[in-house]
Amino acid sequence: MAQWQEMQQLPPTHLERVHQLYTNAALPMTVRQSLADWIEDQDWQQAAEPFSSHARMLFHSLLTLLGEQQGSLGPGDEDFMLKHNLRKARIDLQAAFEEHPENFANLVANLLQEERCILRRAQAKGQVETPPAPSTAPQNSQEQEIQQRLAEFRTALQEAERAFRHMEDLQDTFDFSYKMYYMPGQDHSHDPQYAQHVQALQAKLQSLDRQRRILSLQEVVAQIQQLLGRSETLRDFLQQELSAWRERQQRSCLGAPTDTCLLQLQGWFTALGEGLFQLLQLLRAVGELRQKVTYEQDPLQSELPLLEKRLLEQLTCLLQSAFVVEQQPCMPNTPKRPLVLRTANKFCTRARLLVRLHDRNHRMEANIHIDRDPPKTRGFRKFNILTSSSKTVLVGDSPREGLVCDFQYLTLKEQKGGGSGKGSRGTNEGPLAVTEELHLITFTLAYAYCGLELKLETSTLPFVIISNNNQLSSAWASVLWFNMLSPNPKDQQFFSTPPPAPWPRLAEVLSWQFQSTAERGLSREHLHMLAEKLFGSKPSPESALPWTKFSKDGAAGFSFWAWLDGILALLHDHLKQLWKDGLILGFVSRKQERKLLKVKRSGTFLIRFSESMLGGVTCTWVEHPESGPPAFRAVVPYTAAELASLALPDIIRDYQLLAEENIPENPLLFLYPDIARDEAFGPYYSQRHEGILTKKKEYLNQRLIRVSSRQPHETWQTEEELVVATEDLETLQLKSGGQQPVSPGTVPGGGRTPRTPQAVSPGLQQVVAAVPVLPSLQQLGSGDLGVLQTGMGDLGPPVVLQLLQVGPGAQGVLPMGSSAIGPLLGSDAAELLLDNGAVGLQPSGLGELEGLPLQEPALEVGAGQLEAVELLPTLDDSAVLLDSSDPFLPQPEDAALPATASLFTADGDFPALHIDASDFQ
Amino acid sequence: MRPRGKAEGRLWLRALEILQELSFCDCTILSMSQRGEHQESKKKLEISPSETMKAEEESYKEENKEPKSEDWRPPSVFGAVGLYNIGQTCCLNSLLQVFFMNIHFTKILRRISVPVCGTQKKKNVPYQMLLLLEKMQCGKQKAVSPKELAICLVAHGVTMFVQYDAAQLFLTLWNLLKKQMKNPELVEKLSDLYTISVQEHLTCQTCSSETKRNSSMLTLPVSLLDSDSHMLKTLEECLQCFFRPEELTGHNMCFCEHCGKKTPFQQSVKLVHLPQTLTIHLKRFCFGRSAYIHKISSCLPFPQDLDFNAVLTEQQCQAYDNEKAAWQYELFAVVAHSGSTSYGHYCAYIRSLTECKWYCFNDSLVEQVSWDDVKSTYGHSDLSWGQTAYLLFYMRKHRQ
Repeated sequence: MAQWQEMQQLPPTHLERVHQLYTNAALPMTVRQSLADWIEDQDWQQAAEPFSSHARMLFHSLLTLLGEQQGSLGPGDEDFMLKHNLRKARIDLQAAFEEHPENFANLVANLLQEERCILRRAQAKGQVETPPAPSTAPQNSQEQEIQQRLAEFRTALQEAERAFRHMEDLQDTFDFSYKMYYMPGQDHSHDPQYAQHVQALQAKLQSLDRQRRILSLQEVVAQIQQLLGRSETLRDFLQQELSAWRERQQRSCLGAPTDTCLLQLQGWFTALGEGLFQLLQLLRAVGELRQKVTYEQDPLQSELPLLEKRLLEQLTCLLQSAFVVEQQPCMPNTPKRPLVLRTANKFCTRARLLVRLHDRNHRMEANIHIDRDPPKTRGFRKFNILTSSSKTVLVGDSPREGLVCDFQYLTLKEQKGGGSGKGSRGTNEGPLAVTEELHLITFTLAYAYCGLELKLETSTLPFVIISNNNQLSSAWASVLWFNMLSPNPKDQQFFSTPPPAPWPRLAEVLSWQFQSTAERGLSREHLHMLAEKLFGSKPSPESALPWTKFSKDGAAGFSFWAWLDGILALLHDHLKQLWKDGLILGFVSRKQERKLLKVKRSGTFLIRFSESMLGGVTCTWVEHPESGPPAFRAVVPYTAAELASLALPDIIRDYQLLAEENIPENPLLFLYPDIARDEAFGPYYSQRHEGILTKKKEYLNQRLIRVSSRQPHETWQTEEELVVATEDLETLQLKSGGQQPVSPGTVPGGGRTPRTPQAVSPGLQQVVAAVPVLPSLQQLGSGDLGVLQTGMGDLGPPVVLQLLQVGPGAQGVLPMGSSAIGPLLGSDAAELLLDNGAVGLQPSGLGELEGLPLQEPALEVGAGQLEAVELLPTLDDSAVLLDSSDPFLPQPEDAALPATASLFTADGDFPALHIDASDFQ
Repeated sequence: MRPRGKAEGRLWLRALEILQELSFCDCTILSMSQRGEHQESKKKLEISPSETMKAEEESYKEENKEPKSEDWRPPSVFGAVGLYNIGQTCCLNSLLQVFFMNIHFTKILRRISVPVCGTQKKKNVPYQMLLLLEKMQCGKQKAVSPKELAICLVAHGVTMFVQYDAAQLFLTLWNLLKKQMKNPELVEKLSDLYTISVQEHLTCQTCSSETKRNSSMLTLPVSLLDSDSHMLKTLEECLQCFFRPEELTGHNMCFCEHCGKKTPFQQSVKLVHLPQTLTIHLKRFCFGRSAYIHKISSCLPFPQDLDFNAVLTEQQCQAYDNEKAAWQYELFAVVAHSGSTSYGHYCAYIRSLTECKWYCFNDSLVEQVSWDDVKSTYGHSDLSWGQTAYLLFYMRKHRQ
């Protein structure tokens, strides 16, 4: 829109300024109004120069135009006034400026400039008042500031260029006249004209000098000075943004969820680089101009070299910082753990020059070197980078692409021989472990653009080189420690004196590990527990953990990090979804666990990580006996080995607790704080293969479940895993067993009496706590849904838990060979895998079942479970008993009970099966 | 094609020599500037002080107060006007801007008496400064030329067209101002505005006899290096270092009258009084190991708000609580230098005391800037040509 039109639309406050501006101006507003477009189109600035013929021309054109305007007006009343005003203005102007039209040009130029100024201020104010449109992405103030400054920089640069062009014109005029008139070789003594010309020349020279001093110097040089000053601030800003990015990248290497996109930075760096290069060209052009005509004490003489030096320094600084490692070295197979490289494994790394300016004729080559200045440590391993260590920088055409050197498929090979190889490590052991030895890759790039040649350099973050996958965990610990604590991102000697980690920092980094592995970080409670574990009872914000305590020593035979990494691996492989969805409370101390569960109803459980073993997870639940303090029960932790065969949700779903009385039940009813088990874990249960009823089955389906059995005098119960054969899953109602209406407190206190079906159904926990009356349990079979029934007399083969449809009245009742429990009662963490073909006899007789060979019982002994080892013979015995090769297994009456008896007699560690009622109070 | 041959060049050079010679001669300059508006506005000014002046000078209706004729105030970009660089005058320009933007100074300047005769007028530095100030405030231009003032300074032995050290030129200018102000009251006001009072203590370490000496200074010349030549981190540290007692031992020992021999002394400077406008000189130019002077371009942050009570200890002050309570300062201006010791460029960052906005005065260019731009003068060890703060002007905060 034309300037004058814009002016008229200004808000009243600013309009007031316009009126003020024209109140005493020699140019009446009438003239400005009627010749608005023409006035704005002329170059008054140039006309304002002394000796300008342009000024006279413009002045007369204006007068002529005013005359025409006057003539074109009609005879109307309104026009009459205007006509008069125009006439008066014309006469006034002619009188005032006829002699010095350049003064008039100067006046108009200044007025126009002031107008622009008012407009600018009004617009700036308007922008403040109206917040930016919500459609644009919200930017922080720093980003806005940078954008604004870049825009200002461009505008100022254009102004400087315009001023320069003007100066150039001036000089050309001079050159022309000089060549025309100044001919010193000839004799001009009697040529009066020549003297005149020389005089004119001198006048021109004076004018030129004035121009140079006042205009060129001021308008160009001062503008460049100013631009440089402002670009320094801008570069400072960009530098800040870049270091923020570097920090973000470092954090994202450690697993923090941050944005490490470089596009915006690339845009900014390129814009500033472009501007500075333009400025450099302008400066060089000014320099050339100076060479054409120079004289003593030329102001440009001293100013220009200074400016150029300052500018080149700025550019160098900008370009140096613009060369960054976009992707830190990383093996593709461990994307979550960059900066750990294995010899002979492929890895990749990428550097980018954020200033996207390049010379198409100049091929840029990037080189990489590993450990260019290796630390002078004894035994420091040396490596070679295999495959090419140089690469031509590729230039993408789209603005999204940049100047990137992408090194893929690199491998490292250790330099052997010369006493520095690994073979000699034994004798020449360095002070640092392999996983504490830090290496660097340096990128170099020969950059050339617009006559500026630079060697740019950037380095990756230090990385650890391992030769075996089992070093990955401790190598990653080093990477964590370094990036968390090192003040110098290139310090290869960091681990000679690793500083301790302040707890708040460490907590954050640990949380990122969980975030990146299982998409959920650590909560405040988790961290509180970890802090307590590390620093004792009272963690303070000032607490700091030494490196050795983090990665090396540990009371349990493994370090804190090894323990945590074990959990991370377990989460990653088996529990990711549960952790992500917050079903695993995870880090809960025993004390805290009790506190949490104490106030919850019986059967409330939580899942936490084992503190005593690597990569273990366990469930703890609470039981409220009728009298006495609440009891807390936990199973021996499951490790990856167990979870590989049966997922945790399924374990929880089918978990069975066998009490002395062999009433199997699932004690896990409510996930802490108060979610019904199946509601919480339902979505994670594995799909069970549904049998097709019409089809005659060859096999019974099998299902693996976990069972624990309880010793009344033991501190806690044992656990086994059993495979349960199911014939018909449609009718299998174990699930509904979990949904039994269990309402603690409303349970009739029938705990100590022999079970009746009515008594069983409401609360299994009471059943467990009850006096064992094994034979009577038979009766349970009929009335209850989903009750795991232990049948004694009915079942022939021992050790087989079968989930069978007992009859129409007792769906999903699980009859159970009591002898199956017997031999296993004392076993701890033993796993028996029984084939589904194990001959199961069912009371209701579902037809002939083919007896299939029973697999050898697979026995897994949990680490550190001594009892299990001691039990081995017994189990073997039972295995013998279970030998499926004999389709006619002994009847329970004959075999199971002696087996049970023998178990307890054989193993003196176990108390006699004696139930004291007081135990359950 | 270019006129660079010897024969051609001679006339050429001659023409320029004439030009240069002329530029030192008043009449030529005047004739040259008569064409422009400078002269017109100057004439106008002599009769009518600007509106700003009127506003500022409500309480100072003094001798050169004359009736006002003009209502229209030029709406120049920021109310601030640039000064043309008439040949390496960036240092002078920066200092002049710092003087002119200081309303406490202009209050004093406006009260000077006008010299009677023409030659005196031309040679009077305060009067020429006032003229320049008026020219800046009333002209319609975005910048004016300090030519007359430069000529006046030349007459007092200040050579032009040479590189200046801003701290040195500041002292020279200030001394000229003080010397040529006739009114003793104004001289005192000027001294009050700028002078720092300190007490120097010399204590003999043997007999504990102490000599005190009061002295005043215009700037606090603080070193960027401590006594062990380590870089100091902040301005506060520099100030602390300045007021830290120094042991004079070895060949620095002084003669003690009581002991009758040369003894080790402790030398300390205690702060007595701080003026309204406090000038701090960062000694960025220093001798290295060789005799050659180099510039320290490393980063030295300075605060916007400076509380001397927090910087100095009890022992480093020699002032009453009343005086100390006033030691709350706010950054007012920064004179920054870019370039090397041999040649460089000066510009000034000044916070307008009326608008509380920062401006950058780069000779003829004046731009509003932000505190971030001022911060870019902290210095950067990687940029030896970048701009670094050289003189810092702090203004005492208003007492609550």
